[in-house]
Amino acid sequence: MAVEAKVPTAVRGARPQWLENSLGQILALLIALAIALLAGALIIVAYGESPVTVYGAILEFAVTDDGPGYVLAIATPLIFSALALAVCFKAGLFNIGVEGQYLFAMVPATWAALELDFLPGPIHVPAILIAAMLGGMLWAGIAGVLKVTTGAHEVVTTIMLNGIAVSFLSWALNNPLRFTESGAGTNVDLRSDRFVESALIGDLGGFFGFRPSAHLSWLFLLAIVAAVMVWFLVKRMRLGYEARAVGSSPGSAKAGGIGIGAVQIKLFLISGALAGLVGMQQLLADKGYLPQNYQAQLGFTGIAVAFLGQNNAIGIIFAAILWGALSRGESALQIRTDVPREFVIILQGILILAVVIVYQIAKRRLARRQLQRAGAEEQELEEAAGPPADVVLAEGER
Amino acid sequence: MDLTDLGAAIGIAFTYFTIIYLTGLGGLFSERSGIVNIGLEGLMIIGTVTGSFGTYYFTTELGLGLPWGPVMGLAFGAVSGMLFAGVHALATITFRVDHIVSGVVINLVAVGLARFLSQIFFGQATQSDPGQPHLDTVDVPLLSDLPWGLGRAFENLSPVVFVAVLMVFPVTFALYRTRWGLRLRSTGENPEATRSLGVRVAPLRYQAVLMSGLLAGLSGAFLSVEVQYNWREGQTLGLGFIALAALILSNWNPVRLMGAAALFGFAQAVPLRLSDAPIINLLPPQFIRMTPYIVTIVAIAGFVGRVRPPAAAGRAYEGAGGT
Repeated sequence: MAVEAKVPTAVRGARPQWLENSLGQILALLIALAIALLAGALIIVAYGESPVTVYGAILEFAVTDDGPGYVLAIATPLIFSALALAVCFKAGLFNIGVEGQYLFAMVPATWAALELDFLPGPIHVPAILIAAMLGGMLWAGIAGVLKVTTGAHEVVTTIMLNGIAVSFLSWALNNPLRFTESGAGTNVDLRSDRFVESALIGDLGGFFGFRPSAHLSWLFLLAIVAAVMVWFLVKRMRLGYEARAVGSSPGSAKAGGIGIGAVQIKLFLISGALAGLVGMQQLLADKGYLPQNYQAQLGFTGIAVAFLGQNNAIGIIFAAILWGALSRGESALQIRTDVPREFVIILQGILILAVVIVYQIAKRRLARRQLQRAGAEEQELEEAAGPPADVVLAEGER
Repeated sequence: MDLTDLGAAIGIAFTYFTIIYLTGLGGLFSERSGIVNIGLEGLMIIGTVTGSFGTYYFTTELGLGLPWGPVMGLAFGAVSGMLFAGVHALATITFRVDHIVSGVVINLVAVGLARFLSQIFFGQATQSDPGQPHLDTVDVPLLSDLPWGLGRAFENLSPVVFVAVLMVFPVTFALYRTRWGLRLRSTGENPEATRSLGVRVAPLRYQAVLMSGLLAGLSGAFLSVEVQYNWREGQTLGLGFIALAALILSNWNPVRLMGAAALFGFAQAVPLRLSDAPIINLLPPQFIRMTPYIVTIVAIAGFVGRVRPPAAAGRAYEGAGGT
């Protein structure tokens, strides 16, 4: 995050910075988790149930039997979604358009699944994934180009593009993608035709003994690969370095010869490609067609997951799994307890609120402590620390 | 000449105008004080479920009947929206969390909270029973007698529509003619300067954000109580974001916001009543629904004049000693 890059030198007698940062992050996460579980416990008690029973049921459903299969299947799209956000965030760009990008991308992906059915199996799925990534890149690219050429703020343009994508998807589902074969005499909900077998992503859960109903697919491994690639991009590649430079100080980045606009557009395109893959779990693994009641909100949930994982590619994997485990707990509550299943969504909400607030406080403390240590050079450092790191939005503007 | 469809479309547009304008005004207060609020949709969602329950509770359970039952229900929705906005205020003002992050969380949590509340209120998670009590509709005198069916536009309107239309006067007065309004606007432009004049920034911003929750909650309650006569999950249909779009297009001005809300409200009504009209029948209805968003992108990109948000909107204010 921005803070890491901001206090690079002159911290004498400190623990290694990466250690201090990661320890602080883990501590902050644990505190947030404790706060959320405690607040949740109050609600559970109000329902006359025991928190131990309820949390125990959630845990049990996540780790036993087919549980892990379901959990990882839920986590799969969230990993893509959170990664898409994290890539942009490195440069201080807030791509809240992941939602619209994956909805838009489901249209070319569905088209490829239906129309490219002459392709043999091993090529068909990659073709669909590429179509989805191109769709996401197009939709994200619009926001990127508008940002660079006109200065239109990406938060505003992507919110608007989200709205357009919803209508576009609805139009596509009513016209070019509308089903042609409806079962005779049956009343079918609006959807696309079913995809041919070669368009579906192979089941992965079977290897671990999970039933196919968990819908755990190879897509999960692809998500892990994507996370590693994003980690490598951010930490080890030139573009990642440039992105962090632009994110922490656009002025110095520019003075250092970095083309800010080019970096921003590249990041938007990568982000869009990742966003395009968000919808693939439901199209190619869960359903096998594009339904009218498709799963929405995955883009926004990805934002929560990204913050839970502190925008770190590897942290995001674990955050998505935690989120998936909680979501899986909805069934646990319904079967085992009198607490309504919606309690889980409340718990997730409290958790993410606690995370952003605790992390914000921790970040300030860390910055302050490092300032004090710097002693004599305090003056200079204070200027360097300048505006608080949380004003990423405003900094991105300048 | 028969313009019944046009009249009906304008009538529907009044309804959408009310939703967009009330929510947009909420966003206006918040953003004018320097707190970006993209959680308007979530605040509206809370308003829909609590407003619907409040109306049922006050009218039937407490036996207040008409009109006080629905009035109290609308007020309950508004106050609930305000309480929920308190979370956004706490996160952004006291804890200085990024405004966009907090807004996204508000929207996410609202969906779950609404289901949770609905389960408690109605015993079912995604809707309440249809046909709930509501205020008697009114016809505008004279205007509802317009010829060619245009009078349809002014028949059977909810009294809340008039409240929304008249709201422009108190809001404009409060913002531009009172000391409070001046201070509010100046915290949104330059909180440091405002504080240097001895004005405490945080309380002003709290008031503004709570106000945004009040108005967005009222707007949501209007939607469930006065328009659809029950609560249904997802009934806000992104109108909170359309209100945000209208706010941007209006350049954060309450008078111009009326125009933007009317325009976008009409755009919502066209596919419902005018889909067979000339020219419009060439376009799929989904493309017409896109217009508010496209217009806003064009405006924000500066292709036709530039809109400018309050200077300090989105920035955390450090303030000495947490003032």
